[in-house]
Amino acid sequence: MLFSWSYFLEAFPKVLKGLPTTLGLTVIAAVFSLLLGTVLALLNYYKVPVAVQILKVWSSFIRGTPNVTQIFFFYYGLARISTLVLNMSPVVATGVVMSLSMSAFMAESIRGALMSVDEGQREAALSLGMTNFQLTTRIVIPQAVRVALPTLFNDMINLFKMSSLAFTIGIRDVMGNARIESAASFRFFETYAIVMIIYWIFSLLMGMVQKRLEEKSNAIYSSSTVTKDNKGLLNKKLQKEKN
Amino acid sequence: MVDVKNLSKTFDGTTEVLKEINLHVDKHDVVAILGPSGTGKSTLLRCLNYLCEPTTGVIRVGDVTVDAQNHTKQQVRDLRKQSAMVFQGYNLFKNKTALGNVMEALITVQGKGREEAEDIAIAQLKKVGMLDRKDFYPAKMSGGQQQRVAIARALAVNPNVLLFDEPTSALDPELVGEVLNTIRQLAEEQTSTMILVTHEIHFARNVANRIIFMEGGYIAADGTPQEIIDDPENPRLRQFLNLVGK
Ligand SMILES: Nc1ncnc2c1ncn2[C@@H]1O[C@H](COP(=O)(O)OP(=O)(O)OP(=O)(O)O)[C@@H](O)[C@H]1O
Ligand SMILES: [Mg+2]
Repeated sequence: MLFSWSYFLEAFPKVLKGLPTTLGLTVIAAVFSLLLGTVLALLNYYKVPVAVQILKVWSSFIRGTPNVTQIFFFYYGLARISTLVLNMSPVVATGVVMSLSMSAFMAESIRGALMSVDEGQREAALSLGMTNFQLTTRIVIPQAVRVALPTLFNDMINLFKMSSLAFTIGIRDVMGNARIESAASFRFFETYAIVMIIYWIFSLLMGMVQKRLEEKSNAIYSSSTVTKDNKGLLNKKLQKEKN
Repeated sequence: MVDVKNLSKTFDGTTEVLKEINLHVDKHDVVAILGPSGTGKSTLLRCLNYLCEPTTGVIRVGDVTVDAQNHTKQQVRDLRKQSAMVFQGYNLFKNKTALGNVMEALITVQGKGREEAEDIAIAQLKKVGMLDRKDFYPAKMSGGQQQRVAIARALAVNPNVLLFDEPTSALDPELVGEVLNTIRQLAEEQTSTMILVTHEIHFARNVANRIIFMEGGYIAADGTPQEIIDDPENPRLRQFLNLVGK
C-alpha cells in the first residue's frame, strides 16, 4: 500500500517527542526577540543617533539572507573565531540565531506601532505637563501594543516554523526526529505527513489565540463597557449629591 | 496672568513666523485671536506652553517665567502646568475613556489619588454635559462630544490660562454650536483666563472682551470687540473682515 496507517500511528509519537524542543525554541526565541526588538524599536522611536542606522542595516541584513545560511554562518562560521560560539550547544545556537533574526522583524513591527500613536495625543499629554516617560508608558505603549499584537503574533508563528531549521545542525526537534525515523524506515510519505500535521495544528492553534487576543483588545477601546468598580464609585457619588 | 516679551520664532533658521511679539493678558480676560491663515496664531499659542519652542523671548504664565535662551526641562514642565490647551483635533487619549482622559493629568501630573481625581473629573464632565458618556472611549464619541471632553480635561487641572486653538474648525457644522456654547458658558463665568484662536468672528465678538488681530507674524491690531470688529481702523483688518464676511 502506498500509505501505511500502521506506520503512521507508530511513528507519530516518535516524531512528536521532538515537540517540546520545537516549542521550547519557539518560546525562548519569542521572549528574547521581543525584548531585543522592543529595545531596538524604542531607540529608533526616540531617534537615538547611531541606533537608527544600526536598525536599518540590521533589518536589511536579516531580511536579505535566508535563515539556513544565518544558522550555518553563526554555528559553523563564527565558531572559527569565537570560542563562545564553539562551545555552544546546537540548541542554544539555534535559539540565539532565531532571536537575533526575529528581533529585526519585531523591531519594525513595534516601531510602526509606536509611530501609529498620533502626534496630537503626544502634544496633549505634554501640554498638561506629563513627562516623556509617563507619556510613553501610559499613552503610547498601551496603544502600540494593540496595533502590534497581530503582527507580533504572526512573527511568533514564523518563529515556530523557523525552528524546524534546527535539524540542520543536528537537533532532534520535530523535524529532526522525522529525518531520523524516515531515514531508517524509508517511509518518507508517512513521516513527513506527520510533520506537516503537527506544524499545521500548532499554527492553527496559535492563529486562534491571535484572533481571540485581537478581538479582546479591539473590544477594550471601542466599546462603552462600564467596569464594576466605576459604577460603584459613581453610584456612591450620586448618592452623596442627593444627601 | 500672561506676559510675553520680545517673542520671536524662526522655523528652520529662515522663516520668521513670529516677530518680536509683546503681549500682556490680565486675569479673567477672554482674548480672541483673529487673522489670516499662516500668520502665526497657532504658533503664538503653542509657544505659550512650549509645544513650540520660541527662538528668543521671555514668556510668563501664572507665576512661572521661561526664557527661550536659558531654561531647563523642569521649567518648561512647570510652565505647562500653568495652562491647558484645547486642540483643533481634540487629541483625546484613545486608550482612555472620557473619565480616564480627564483623570489622567490629575493623577500623573498633580499626584492626586484616584478617588479625588475621579470626583473632579466627574464634576467637570457634568459641567460640559458629558457625564452620561463618561465610560465611552473616544472612538465611540462624536467630534463635538470629544471636544467637550477635551474641554473638561483642560478645566480639570484648574489651569491659570485656558488656550483654545480653533476648537470648532474640525467639527461638522451641526456640532459647532454645542462646543461654542460650552466655551461661552466658561467665558461668562469669568473664572478663568482664556486665549482662543478662532475663525468664528461672531462668536469672538460676543464672547471675548479683547480681540487681537495678527498679520504676518505681528500683532497688527489689539482692542475691544467694538474697536476691532465694529469699527476697524487698520486697513488690513478691514480687508480681512470683509473677506470672512463680518
Ligand atoms: N513645524 C513647522 N515647521 C515649519 N514651518 C512651520 C511649522 N509650523 C508652522 N509653520 C509655518 O509657520 C507659519 C505660521 O503657522 P501657524 O500655524 O502659526 O499659522 P496660523 O495663523 O495658525 O494659521 P491657520 O489659521 O491656518 O491655522 C506658516 O507659514 C507655517 O507654514
Ligand atoms: Mg492655526
